[in-house]
Amino acid sequence: MNALRSSPLLFAACVLALALLPVLWPDPYMLSVVASAGIFIIAAISLNLLLGFTGQLSLGHVAFFGIGAYTSALLSLGFDLELPGLAQALVVTPKPVWVAFGGGIFVAGLFGWLIGKLAFRVRGAYFVIVTISFAQVMRMVAINWVDLTEGPMALNNIPPLTLWLPGAGTIDLVSKSSAYWLVLAVAVVSYLLVAALVHSRVGRAMVALRENETLARSIGVTVTDYLRIAAIGAAAIGGAAGGLYAHTVRIIDPDVFMFMFTITMVIMVIVGGKGTLAGPVVGGLLFGLVPELLRGRLTPEVQWMLYGVLMIVILVFMPRGIVPALTRRRKARPAVVQPVARMAGDTR
Amino acid sequence: MISIQSLRFTLVGTAMAAFAVPVLAQETIKIGVSEPLTGSVAASGTYVTNGARLAAEVINRKGGVLGKKIELVIEDNKSNPREAVNSAEKLILKDKVPVLMGAWSSTFTLAVMPKLMEYGVPMVVETASSGKITTAGNPWIFRISPTSAMEASAFSKKLAGMSPAIKKVDFLSVNNDWGLGAAAAFKKTFEDNGITVGRTETMAPDATDLSAQLAALKGTGADTLIVTSGIEQLTLAIRQAGEQRLPQRIITTGGSFPEPLLTSPGPKGYASQHLLFFAPWEPQRAVYPEVAKEFSDAWTERKYDLPGQTEGFRGYDAILTIVEAIRIAGKAEPAAIRDALWKVKVKGVNGDIAFVKEGPAGKESGQNEPSVYIVELKDGKVAVK
Amino acid sequence: MDQFLQHLVNGLVTGSTYALLGIGLTLIFGIMKVVNMAHGELYTLGAYAAYGFVALLGVNYFAAIFLSALFGLAVGAVIEYLLLRRRNLAAMDEVMLIMIGVMIVLQNAELLVWGGVAKAVPSPFSQEPIVMGGVSVSPTRVFVLGTAVVLLVSFYMLIEKSRLGLAMRATFQDKDAAKIVGVNVSRIYTLTFALGSCLAAVAGALLAPVFVVSPTMGDLASLKAFAIVILGGLGNLLGATLGGFALALIEEFGAGYISTAYRDAIGFLVILVVMVARPQGLFTKKERVG
Repeated sequence: MNALRSSPLLFAACVLALALLPVLWPDPYMLSVVASAGIFIIAAISLNLLLGFTGQLSLGHVAFFGIGAYTSALLSLGFDLELPGLAQALVVTPKPVWVAFGGGIFVAGLFGWLIGKLAFRVRGAYFVIVTISFAQVMRMVAINWVDLTEGPMALNNIPPLTLWLPGAGTIDLVSKSSAYWLVLAVAVVSYLLVAALVHSRVGRAMVALRENETLARSIGVTVTDYLRIAAIGAAAIGGAAGGLYAHTVRIIDPDVFMFMFTITMVIMVIVGGKGTLAGPVVGGLLFGLVPELLRGRLTPEVQWMLYGVLMIVILVFMPRGIVPALTRRRKARPAVVQPVARMAGDTR
Repeated sequence: MISIQSLRFTLVGTAMAAFAVPVLAQETIKIGVSEPLTGSVAASGTYVTNGARLAAEVINRKGGVLGKKIELVIEDNKSNPREAVNSAEKLILKDKVPVLMGAWSSTFTLAVMPKLMEYGVPMVVETASSGKITTAGNPWIFRISPTSAMEASAFSKKLAGMSPAIKKVDFLSVNNDWGLGAAAAFKKTFEDNGITVGRTETMAPDATDLSAQLAALKGTGADTLIVTSGIEQLTLAIRQAGEQRLPQRIITTGGSFPEPLLTSPGPKGYASQHLLFFAPWEPQRAVYPEVAKEFSDAWTERKYDLPGQTEGFRGYDAILTIVEAIRIAGKAEPAAIRDALWKVKVKGVNGDIAFVKEGPAGKESGQNEPSVYIVELKDGKVAVK
Repeated sequence: MDQFLQHLVNGLVTGSTYALLGIGLTLIFGIMKVVNMAHGELYTLGAYAAYGFVALLGVNYFAAIFLSALFGLAVGAVIEYLLLRRRNLAAMDEVMLIMIGVMIVLQNAELLVWGGVAKAVPSPFSQEPIVMGGVSVSPTRVFVLGTAVVLLVSFYMLIEKSRLGLAMRATFQDKDAAKIVGVNVSRIYTLTFALGSCLAAVAGALLAPVFVVSPTMGDLASLKAFAIVILGGLGNLLGATLGGFALALIEEFGAGYISTAYRDAIGFLVILVVMVARPQGLFTKKERVG
């Protein structure tokens, strides 16, 4: 887990290599594939904060992704909404994309706080189910509140990403390369943010409550506060990923809330290594790029069966994921201890 | 049977897609196809794709076009507008197809349209019926299927022959561009003909339990219910309407035929009517019977389900159109094919195919005007009216 | 108001199959503490099995239901034996992820074998609806209700009155104590998982001729099953039964009187509300869950 921290040089080298990619290999299709993988990596990094570092199995993470996507899209397209109680429709004019993007992050974070308040009253399997239900409700709302979200007809013609630089004003990022660089930038920022959080006092408290919540509570760790911080952070970063998605794909429909996306993110985090910083990146690259390589060679059904089998195999033989398995040799003491179960029941 | 066939399709599709790796690009002319092969409208998408494949085979057997064979590069858009965009981008950027056919539903087609403008590739629209498609000012769109307005207008000519006469109409539509657009177009036609419009209910594209909507429609006093959706939902709607003993006669629009009702019919004596654009039970009533026969024969030779022809012909006609345009253009290049599409005159399974300008001046899309048939389904038997 | 009875009947029919789904999952969840995300896939498997037997092999529908049940039993046992038997089930999140892996494999296998187009299973019953007063219901649905109720009752008998049921209840209450008194806990676990899967498969086979069979039908079923288990309380069989009927009726009346569009969302809203207000379920005594 500390492998990359102890070599910031390695980290910088990776980032530089990735940044040079569009220059060395300017194929627009390939760039869009890697950018797409990058967006999922950002989402996986955010999920890892909740799943890996605080040990809360949230399976509704796609909700924040979708909320970020819809919010950013709607703000950049502008909308009018008739609300009961208002004499006139509420009209929101289209905002510049970078403003909308920020809005997406904010609203997603807000929902993260809300879910934090509601969901953390329960633990374990109940928590899982609550998070799943939350994502499904968001999906239903997206499908049925057609006035706002266009429902199954999808939000179309979403403007592409823009960047606001002091002095240069607003720049349109239409080409695949510039979109790629923005995704890379956001990914690097998210990674560093999560790393900073994890290595701070807050991070240590989170790990403490992951390992043994009752014990942590007994020594004065205010568990729900830290969980809430984690939830807001995870939601905000997830929302950022969603916003990027909305402005690169430029069309979103309620299927963006599909459970399958949560599963994809979960697979990335678990296979890569939950609770590690590099894990979601490795998992994300693997599951973002391999489908493209296999496209046309294996049907999607067979591909997904392979991923399912891969996931099961990894969970059985390498339950900590790929990254810890690779770095285990470097460390003297064992990586991280298994989380203690919430419910009654123990080893067979 | 069906499952073995679907395995075969998967293998053929995979093989074809594997060959799409641009190594042998010089040998064939590629045509991109984006259709829903999985998801809520997979049945129709599969039929259309099969029709397209048949056309490719028939054409290749006759020597192909410009001395080369045509090759379909087929992508599944998973009954989802976002996947439709992804599949179109992949076809354009990676497979470098000069022309596309797709994307079945109006919603998917509308989603793909900005990409056509961005990359400058023409697309022949074979099923989608929303008026927005040809009025959006996109000069790369050429549609051979009728708009809902045309369908409603063709139907209005048959109103006099309906017995009992239609006096009050309810609507049950899938809640996307297609369903809602069809409901709007038909409503207007009915109102123009002095028919009262009653209640409108909608259903989500993947909804299977429609009992709530049908219960709401039960006591409205209307004599007709217009249902617009794909094969799966039409089947469920008609069956459940029969179970709840809805008094309205059911008429479906959009050209889909609920063929599962042939093998498991609704209650005895219960009849439903369907607006189709091709009636495979009486191919001799087609405008060009010999073209229809060539299609029908190829279809039955492959042992596909007969009722599938009601939608399979769309893929067939679309490929015929595209190939003719390529022939006129003399080269497999997007801009040339687009210009050539305006000059196309093809004898299709549905009749004459030619494009007229529609939409804002200077950026018109092409629109064709097809024929409409009414078919009645009762106790598992079909009668073409 | 004339539609009230119709909605009631519709809700009862759906509720009976929901109850089957819920009982299967609450057993697995309650006794084994396994968050079985693949539960919906067993439901789908049962439906496809029924389709395969009836449409392709020409087997009589009633026999097909029985065969689908056996199939579900077998698949459940195999999954448990291969993947869960040697695991530390206390690591709930890992087990859940394994079940997600199973779900992915099963769902895509079905997609591969049957294709994405929905299949219709012909029903052996006449399509003439039975009409009583203002209510009409198809014979197929009546059969579904009847069979489900019979299964629910027999299952209840099994759990409450038989030795096997006693062993299961003992294991649920306290695994180690049960081991001490000689219960073969490993075998009970296998049987529990197999039985739960069997019930899901039967629910699928029963509903196959009512709706259509598609590879993704299990997704919603899984999530609703969890809603039912939450409503009824973990491991509470009676709660799951009542929860199944309750959810179906809430959905039916909600769809009928409030909004048809939000029908499927109601289940999830229910979960959220219950979690906030009374996390241990409506039908259980108060216990700590957080």
